[in-house]
Amino acid sequence: MSPSYFVKRLALIVYTLFVVSLVVFGITQVLPADAAVMLLGENATPDALAAIRDKLGLDQPVWVQYGHWLWGVLQGDFGVSLRTGQPVAPVLLEALGRSLTLAVLTIALMLVLALPLGIVAALRRGKLADLLVSIVSYVGVSLPEFVTATLIVLVLADWLQLLPATGFVPLTENFWDGLAHLALPVLTVSVILIAHVSRMVRSELVDVLHTDYVRAARLKGLSRRSVLFHHALHNALLPTITIVALDVGYLLGGVIVVEEIFALPGIGRHLIVAIQTRDLPSIQAGALIMAATYSVVNFMADLAYAWIDKRIQYG
Amino acid sequence: MAELLRRLLRTPQGLLGVLIVGLILVIVVCGPWLAPYGPDTMAPRLRYRAPSAEFLLGTDQYGRDILSRLLYGARSTVILACLATAFGTLAGALIGTTSAFLGGRADEAIMRTIDAILSIPSLLFALLIVNLLGKSSFSAVMAIGIAFTPGMTRVTRSVALAVTKQDYVNAAIARGERGGYIVLREMLPNVVAPIVVEMTIRVAFAVMLFATLSFLGLGAQPPSSEWGLMVAEARRFMHLSFWMILWPSLAVALVAIGFNLLGDGLRDALNPRT
Amino acid sequence: MNVLEVKGYGLDYATPTGFVRALDSIDLAIARGEVLGLVGESGSGKTSLAWAIMRHLPPRAREQGSISLAGQSLMTATESEIAAIRGRRIGMVFQDPSTSLNPTLTLGQQLAEVLARHRGLTRRQAWAEGEAMMARVGLKQPAAMMRRYPHEASGGEKQRVVIASAFACQPECILFDEPTTALDVVTARQILDLFAELQAETAVASLYISHDLALVSRVADHVAVLHRGRLVEQGEVDAVFDAPRDDYTRRLLAAVPRPDHRLMTGKPAAGAEPLVEVERLSVHYGRTPFLSALAGRRTAQVAGNREVSLSVQPGEILGIVGESGSGKSTLARALTGLNRFEGAVRFGGRRIAGRRDMDRGYRRDVQIVFQHPDSSLNPRQRVREILSRPLTLYGGEARIETLLEQVRLPAAYAERFPHQLSGGEKQRVAIARAFASRPRLVICDEITSSLDVSVQAAVVELLVDLQRRNGTAYLFITHDLNLVRQLAHRIAVMYRGELVELLDIDDLSTTGPRHPYTRKLLDAVPPPREYKS
Repeated sequence: MSPSYFVKRLALIVYTLFVVSLVVFGITQVLPADAAVMLLGENATPDALAAIRDKLGLDQPVWVQYGHWLWGVLQGDFGVSLRTGQPVAPVLLEALGRSLTLAVLTIALMLVLALPLGIVAALRRGKLADLLVSIVSYVGVSLPEFVTATLIVLVLADWLQLLPATGFVPLTENFWDGLAHLALPVLTVSVILIAHVSRMVRSELVDVLHTDYVRAARLKGLSRRSVLFHHALHNALLPTITIVALDVGYLLGGVIVVEEIFALPGIGRHLIVAIQTRDLPSIQAGALIMAATYSVVNFMADLAYAWIDKRIQYG
Repeated sequence: MAELLRRLLRTPQGLLGVLIVGLILVIVVCGPWLAPYGPDTMAPRLRYRAPSAEFLLGTDQYGRDILSRLLYGARSTVILACLATAFGTLAGALIGTTSAFLGGRADEAIMRTIDAILSIPSLLFALLIVNLLGKSSFSAVMAIGIAFTPGMTRVTRSVALAVTKQDYVNAAIARGERGGYIVLREMLPNVVAPIVVEMTIRVAFAVMLFATLSFLGLGAQPPSSEWGLMVAEARRFMHLSFWMILWPSLAVALVAIGFNLLGDGLRDALNPRT
Repeated sequence: MNVLEVKGYGLDYATPTGFVRALDSIDLAIARGEVLGLVGESGSGKTSLAWAIMRHLPPRAREQGSISLAGQSLMTATESEIAAIRGRRIGMVFQDPSTSLNPTLTLGQQLAEVLARHRGLTRRQAWAEGEAMMARVGLKQPAAMMRRYPHEASGGEKQRVVIASAFACQPECILFDEPTTALDVVTARQILDLFAELQAETAVASLYISHDLALVSRVADHVAVLHRGRLVEQGEVDAVFDAPRDDYTRRLLAAVPRPDHRLMTGKPAAGAEPLVEVERLSVHYGRTPFLSALAGRRTAQVAGNREVSLSVQPGEILGIVGESGSGKSTLARALTGLNRFEGAVRFGGRRIAGRRDMDRGYRRDVQIVFQHPDSSLNPRQRVREILSRPLTLYGGEARIETLLEQVRLPAAYAERFPHQLSGGEKQRVAIARAFASRPRLVICDEITSSLDVSVQAAVVELLVDLQRRNGTAYLFITHDLNLVRQLAHRIAVMYRGELVELLDIDDLSTTGPRHPYTRKLLDAVPPPREYKS
């Protein structure tokens, strides 16, 4: 990986975050014809409207409002919640921590299941195992999280009474109990990811197994095993880094839904509550943090890819 | 068209996809006539019924027939999802081809910005737009359409760019063809196929997203029988009758599976070289 | 005793509509130290035979007969026995070194793994031995080469590594599957020299598979001609070339381009006004992307063409030769307005300084035919629509049927789609399209290089015929020196974007080339041996 690639990628992420902040701020504060009326409703008293305009700086020109907000964000100040009157940042960061726990566990579970499934399907292409994996992944990618959650809760929590259906216990407080409470949400979000990633791994590996260099390796007398591990897997799994990073977008969407369903006090649930109560600073902060998380994950994935794959040298 | 259908039915995905989507279309068109009861016909003494000969899929908390509600709800669920996808595709195709055409700095600037917007997860983007436009089916359609636009822009641009590099386009340029002919006759037929495939698969995603928005209380509003909303309402009564929540969930999943299969089938069938 | 022996071998592939015969009653044998050249066109089954010997067939293959290595039957060997034989007792060299080497492993790893697998060496020993092998196949700085990745080596260097791993375990037999086809002529020649050297040194039994009869006649002792899955002729090289018995062999031999057998008679009228004059034409590729500029990186502009000047007389065939990347196609693209260029083109007395100056008249008079008809014919248009465009644009009373007849295709082809035609037929449609506007100059950009020898001969004959009838001038771009010497009045030699020599075909045989690069090119491709028809 050349230094100029790093610099270029860094410039890109700064630009990305800038655009994201513009979009978020634009959709929430600038585009509404009268944000104050929108926040408080048609029946709000003039005094209340004036108060909120003053609070959010709505009287100032758009660019000043944006600059003011961005300057605060850069210093870690996301404003004060209209609902609770508390600063947004500390609450949101705590919620983000919970959501990240959920996300990391999901990705771990997904990798543990999706990689072997995809590899087995590719190696047994056209056989029963391949068909089963492909049916499972078709169904998997077609189930929205709220449907998966419903079915999982029905079976695992209601009928079998194996796991708790709602609530949150921090892992630091009681690890096993915390894990049990996270099990259903993690399972729910991972279904769609497992389905998608195993399908991608399968098709990547099928392609790689048909390349000339894999055939050449076989014709050099290397064993199936050694061809698979030394020649094929490395090249087939490389693109998975990118795919998984892109899927973090789905993951974040899924997180919003499951936090709502399982009553997990994460950033997604915060965002839904903020939208339902029209808590503007919280909406802006939540959306920005989520989008930033996604960009940063992709940035790191690109760097990892470039570091592992020696071919990337473009400037 | 007949040729396309024949090729489509050759693959198992295509066959299944055509069957499922065909069934869904029949329900969308004829659903209200097929329904045994009205979607809002209440029967307080027949609540939370399990499936029976009288109510094939059971009844809900107001004693409404679930089958009839599903048949009526197909319109709001499927048609709106298709509308949202079509809107996103059209906008994306427009921006994507323009960007590919402009090339150079303009193309780079447009695509970097599109990439940046793509880093806002679709559901989040949709939530923000619903927040802007207010809770309703219409704003959910707009939200999904806008949320799909950057992704479709990317797809269209890469397809258009690949086609521009083909020698038949070079040959047309060298022959002195006008730009209109090159775009409409040489490029478009080759660009449309992959976009149709992508669009079909996205309908599945739109159905899921739309149902999710309704589920979160931000899309269709009661007493609509939109499927995501039906699931959301049924959650409270899950312990009284799980059928209420099962059927609309399965309906959403079936539509998504159908369009996913159809999209994969179309991908093979639309390839002129096989 | 024969090292490799194939007896009564037949191969079928199962398809949904029944079995398709790929090979039929093949008999061949190769003794120690012998080279058997297996010649055939695409689809003849030569690659299937190679896979059959390597025991690398898809499950849908059905076989008859026998294949044996030093008396041991390969067809009855178990999978683990085959794995022990591959690489150890039978080696293989593949067509394209850029795809047959794993892009994410170093060249050294890929060479050493064979040694470790078959000779039981430790990693350290295998590495040292690999380095020795690298030196033996003529790679300079073998230690550094061991640590390089494929993308850091040239095509010739990579093919040497592939050859090194084929020879690494001193196998009894090696299969060479078109080992020079993907390489430039000069590099190909060096690889052939290396092959001859190693062959003599190790006395390995070699099966040399190629579509190129002329090449096989130089490297092989025996030659076998494969046609539609059958061996139509087999024997010593001299015997086959001097007295071919089979009709197909004769046709194949006749199709090989021979520089002394001129296809173009006569010369363009001397002293006439030139049709095209290219004046100091330069093309620059590459631009610094905005973000790279931001990162302080200046990408060196890759020169496509540097101040190329040449002219074409009316009715003249000007051949342009050079290796890939020498700027031949760049010139073609600049002349048809597909690339921005500096300098000027004078056409029919009019000065054209850029793409804007290329008006309808110029477009009609200058046509281009591309290398790959698969890409140059729109897959969603029927032949009729493809051919009707130049007619609607530039008029002319010609009908589609006449155009098809002109390139010797049946009129019924007008209703077909390109994918329903063979490679040669597609290229004929592309030629018909170029000639529809009755141009004065047709640029042929490697138009025969994706075609089989016999198809190529027919297409070239067609071009000659069209030239004779219409008096069209050609800019004939190719890497095939023998072909261009048959066809062109003058030859322009390009090297790294520059025109290094422009010589008359008559001067070539009398005074010879002046530029060392031209000499190197000519030395790399000796004319094929004569045969008596």
